[in-house]
Amino acid sequence: MPKTSSAGSARARLRAIADAAARWCAADFPPRVRASTAIERRLGYSLPVVEVALDRLFGGLTAGALEAAIADELGTLDALDGFVERPGRPPAWARAAGAVTIVSSDTTIGVAIPALAFALAANCAVTVKDRSDDLVAAFAETLGEEHPALGAATSVLRWTGGADEREPHLLGDAAVVVAFGSDEALREIRACCAADATFVPFGRRASAGYVDRAALRDAAATLAGPIARDALLYDGDGCLSLHLLYVERAPDGAHERLIDALATACADALVEFPPGTRPPGRAARAQAFATIGAFRAAHGHGRSLRAADGAWSIVTDPPRGQPLPFGAGVLPVVFVDGLDDAAADLRERGIPLQALGVADPGTADAQRFAERFGAVRIAAFGRLQDPPLSGRHGGRARIADFVRWVDRA
Amino acid sequence: MSGAYRAQADALDARIRGAIAGGALDAAAFDNLACAIFAHQFRWNAAYAAYARSLGVDETCLPRTATAIPAVPAAAFKEAPLCTVPPGEAAVWFETSGTTQGRSGRHYLESPALYEAALLAGFDRALLADGARLRYALLVPDPRERPHSSLGYMLATVARERGDGPPGWYLRANGIDLRALETDVARARADGVAICIATTAFALVALLDELALLGSALPLPPGSRVMETGGFKGRTRVLSREELYRRAAAAFGIDEAAIVAEYGMTELSSQYYDSHASRGTARRVKEPVPWLRPIVVDPAGRPVPDGVVGAIRHLDCANRSSVVAIETEDLGAIVPGGLVLLGREEGAAARGCSLDAEDLIRR
Repeated sequence: MPKTSSAGSARARLRAIADAAARWCAADFPPRVRASTAIERRLGYSLPVVEVALDRLFGGLTAGALEAAIADELGTLDALDGFVERPGRPPAWARAAGAVTIVSSDTTIGVAIPALAFALAANCAVTVKDRSDDLVAAFAETLGEEHPALGAATSVLRWTGGADEREPHLLGDAAVVVAFGSDEALREIRACCAADATFVPFGRRASAGYVDRAALRDAAATLAGPIARDALLYDGDGCLSLHLLYVERAPDGAHERLIDALATACADALVEFPPGTRPPGRAARAQAFATIGAFRAAHGHGRSLRAADGAWSIVTDPPRGQPLPFGAGVLPVVFVDGLDDAAADLRERGIPLQALGVADPGTADAQRFAERFGAVRIAAFGRLQDPPLSGRHGGRARIADFVRWVDRA
Repeated sequence: MSGAYRAQADALDARIRGAIAGGALDAAAFDNLACAIFAHQFRWNAAYAAYARSLGVDETCLPRTATAIPAVPAAAFKEAPLCTVPPGEAAVWFETSGTTQGRSGRHYLESPALYEAALLAGFDRALLADGARLRYALLVPDPRERPHSSLGYMLATVARERGDGPPGWYLRANGIDLRALETDVARARADGVAICIATTAFALVALLDELALLGSALPLPPGSRVMETGGFKGRTRVLSREELYRRAAAAFGIDEAAIVAEYGMTELSSQYYDSHASRGTARRVKEPVPWLRPIVVDPAGRPVPDGVVGAIRHLDCANRSSVVAIETEDLGAIVPGGLVLLGREEGAAARGCSLDAEDLIRR
């Protein structure tokens, strides 16, 4: 297993990655067309949804964004090429950590690609476990066309976890293992890593939204559309999808009016993001959740609003402590009296939070909400699922895990 | 309850008993009976009526076909008492599972008579078509310890009404009492009486594992059979059904076709069993009794064509004093002869990096 690439300067690597991504931004780029169809088949999303995902994924992979993220973490891009002077500290070189393995089996669209880009930027040799849509493999091919050494440093494979003789070698010999998956899968992968390897886990997480009375008063008319898009894009599959919404009760009933507006907005959002095909089990779970919501509503507890075809469902005030059927177009809404109430509800449901959507992420309250919920990302509604490349996914560094610092005394 | 209620309930019970005692029930007869039961429940089951009203049903537009009857989600039994009599007047109640929401509900029955008639008739068709009087070895909850287990109640009733003597109960707090089971099986062999082992799938696995550990088998007398029910949801040990039956047949010295799966729910009074024709085949078909009908629906709640997978809705005419139409998250498809069951877990797993309910339950 090669440990590093021989791919020239960091700047040249970044340019090649960005050039490859730029080619993937074109909707008629043949590999993208093929990958889109395969993704559509794998995940059951409609083509417009796949296109949005690919636009966001590759549109963000620019040389400028990559360099900004690297400079933020390493001080300067030049640190990847050799020793750099640092005021008040010894000169240091951020050399490649070694071989990197990325396990991104059952994930949403292209989550391995940013990790791949930063690992390659760090001059690491990278192995990626790909999905049946072969998106990473296709992108690696484009990378190879842009910069043959980067292509050579990237190995994209498919294997079955726990049932492939290559796996112990691919995980055990890696200096860094990046893994996406369930708690159980992450534990198993971690157990296969070398003792001194860096393990970068991305476990399953959910995202929530919080609408306070001030937002209801000032921005109610504009909130519903962005909230609906955050909830319905990617059918709730991503950890940045809006899975649960907290709304403060307002004396004038504005919280209930927001639900009516949300129902209209959900219908509108699905014109932009047409629903795809859901596996029957997920569809049945969503249906059951909406139906029990309707039953509760008939007995005076909450409301249940649902598209006639089941494409989206909004259920208000689901019983506390009840596990929620994330995804499949379901948006549970919990009315609360305040932040403490919402935090208690979240704790009772045992939901580990990734991101928090709010009306205005710039306020002091938003920071307080995120801290209270344990979220690692605060975003304005409508932007929840559109994180910048230079952001820290999962609260983790983008490139720091892929380098080892060498100090010169 | 009022005289009007009693008269209506008794008349319906008589019709249902007729259906249970009779043979096939054609579509029109089933529709007619199910709709009459719904009308009765709409009048007397306040919680069901409130739900039906919220869906637009009222006295002037009651359903005329079984598929139009509003189905209550199984989880609703955790939300409200769904009974045509006040819960305090129910003769029995069974505790529903709490796997999905972490809390249980209750299925109240005004009287056990209809339930017992339905379960016995279903069991007779599925397991006692040869009229055998069997000795019952039960690896299910003992009603003396868990009086509100519908499975325990059901099998105690079967053993009482169809057995050749008192049944044996072998589930203990710390596992299966294998020694007692072996002793009783040996006695049955000596007596020349066939045995019916009725067990949950999980208990069957535990029994087979224990036998394997001891390197022994438990050959049953000729004519013996096994009734297996339930899946492995939430369990750490999962076996494919094919593997389970292969191992059970070998351990008990019986044909795989003598192992019959039951599919039921606490919220139902009637059960499905593997059809005779599909036993011993790779694809077992769950056959409903004539007074029970499955409907498979799409995410919008519309019936799907035969062969298409969707969520299963049950119309159980023996549920006269509770709810005639129950919606589940179980997946299946209608095929000739009945229903093919896929189970709740297939196709339900989270696809992305977000959580799903199962993740949270496991945490």
